[in-house]
Amino acid sequence: MVVADMRRDVQAIILLLLGGAVLRITWTDAYLNYVREEMRPFLFLSAALLLVLGVLALVDAVRILRSDPVKVAPGLTEEERELEDDHDHGAWSTWLLLLPVLAIFLIAPPALGAYTAAREETNAIPPAEAQAPPLPPGDPVPVALGDFVGRAVWDNGLTLEGRQVQLIGFVTPNPAGGWWLARLSIACCAADAVSTKVQVEGAEEYPANTWVSVVGSWIPGGGTMSADSVPIIVADSVEVIPAPRNPYE
Amino acid sequence: MSQQPPEHTRTRYRPGALEFLALGLIVLVLGQRWLVELFDVPALQTGATVFVAIMIQATPFLLLGVVLSGAIAAFVPGSFWRRVMPKNKALAVPVAGCAGALIPGCECASVPVANGLMSKGVTPAAALAFLLSAPAINPIVMVSTFVAFPGQPELVLARFLASLATAMALGWLWLKFGKSQWLRLGPRTHLIGSNSWHTFRLTASHDFLHAGGFLVIGAMAAAAINVLVPPAWMNAVADNPLLAIGAMAALAILLSICSEADAFIAASFTEFSNTAKLTFMVVGPMVDLKLISLQAGTFGRAFAARFAPTTAVVAILMSVLFGWWLLT
Repeated sequence: MVVADMRRDVQAIILLLLGGAVLRITWTDAYLNYVREEMRPFLFLSAALLLVLGVLALVDAVRILRSDPVKVAPGLTEEERELEDDHDHGAWSTWLLLLPVLAIFLIAPPALGAYTAAREETNAIPPAEAQAPPLPPGDPVPVALGDFVGRAVWDNGLTLEGRQVQLIGFVTPNPAGGWWLARLSIACCAADAVSTKVQVEGAEEYPANTWVSVVGSWIPGGGTMSADSVPIIVADSVEVIPAPRNPYE
Repeated sequence: MSQQPPEHTRTRYRPGALEFLALGLIVLVLGQRWLVELFDVPALQTGATVFVAIMIQATPFLLLGVVLSGAIAAFVPGSFWRRVMPKNKALAVPVAGCAGALIPGCECASVPVANGLMSKGVTPAAALAFLLSAPAINPIVMVSTFVAFPGQPELVLARFLASLATAMALGWLWLKFGKSQWLRLGPRTHLIGSNSWHTFRLTASHDFLHAGGFLVIGAMAAAAINVLVPPAWMNAVADNPLLAIGAMAALAILLSICSEADAFIAASFTEFSNTAKLTFMVVGPMVDLKLISLQAGTFGRAFAARFAPTTAVVAILMSVLFGWWLLT
């Protein structure tokens, strides 16, 4: 019923709401749940542009109310102005832009987690370098989960042997028993998330999506030289930690 | 906002739209708790996250596109295009195709730009070649492909050539067989403002709001596919070369990943042949759910119904051809 036409006041409000939604998630770091950190300046710019366009469209709408349509749409004749909105075929589609606004303000979808990680079978994409350099000194030494998996699967664990490592990720229940420590990485946005998992042994159970720091050592047995190998770590200690600012690795 | 006196009816104040919006928002805010509970299912939550992610990732690129289309409408006179584009339409196609290498945007940006070019008198065949090549062969995409496939520069070359060849082939096909009535180029006189800046702003806002809605449809479809299709289905067809190519093309169309990220996804399909991965990267930037939706919204359904399938077929053929030549 609503829209054969999309009036400028409604256009203005949709632009303002969308600008506000983008500003909000960029301001609060929630944007890191959806896209990469590098997008931040572009998101601020986008929010600013949307808000400016929205305010100016509101000015237009006020002018229309004051019955000054010549200034607002000088390219049209009087008659065309009457009809203007009627041949704006796609106007109904504009309303759909309220959906992301509502999703952001009302639902605030969380970062992807255990559900996505458990679905992926590809676990270890072959790394660029044939052999990774030795781990830096330290005991335990913090290692990114993806790096750990790459070393375990594609270097036969050579650089991990005899080392105590610290891994950070979220708990993903393994349907075959126990749990994986998992992390997702994104190339652009959450639609392209790729997961990495490590089977954790010698640790108690935690609810799915609990962020933990695992200190332990790699043991052979998870398979090597195949993209669906899932390496194993024997935990010396597991500590529940707050979710990192950027949930993706 | 107050009710207008009758003599102002020609400003078409129709109570309804704004009030409906306000009422709807109030109801939704009151029902927030219920909404959050509704979405407290992992699959739905994942879908919502992917949907918002695609929208957030695409918004800056769509804005870049509408800023360019607004600038084309407001500041670049039609005579400029007659000067820089070759008179010969068949020659204009490769020129426009190569020009696509210069715009560092992804597919969401190129649709409004191509629309702006057409409405300024650039021949549709050339604008379409640009539409297809810009998201596929721009420098950012080439670099990300190079990074995603270390030690395999031939894949970058194959991607560049196959994409450019597809874009040019589609431009020429349009010249030969295209009919102008398939293209619905809306009248844009209502977007002429009181000065150039005003025209710029009206065009940019209009194009954003218009295309943005169709982007929402595409993003929702892609989010649904993301949740509904288990990744394991894919690896089942990897061993059969023909099935693998078809599956990767279908996946590129359904997943609707940004052209700047698709190389990393292609690389993650470790079981597939390089030609199948190439197909994924050539088809994706030119035909996918969000792009079909954007094209249908901008150029009309009659256009999208013919253009998208043709593009997909040509893109697959070119991928197989260049894959066979460069990757085996």
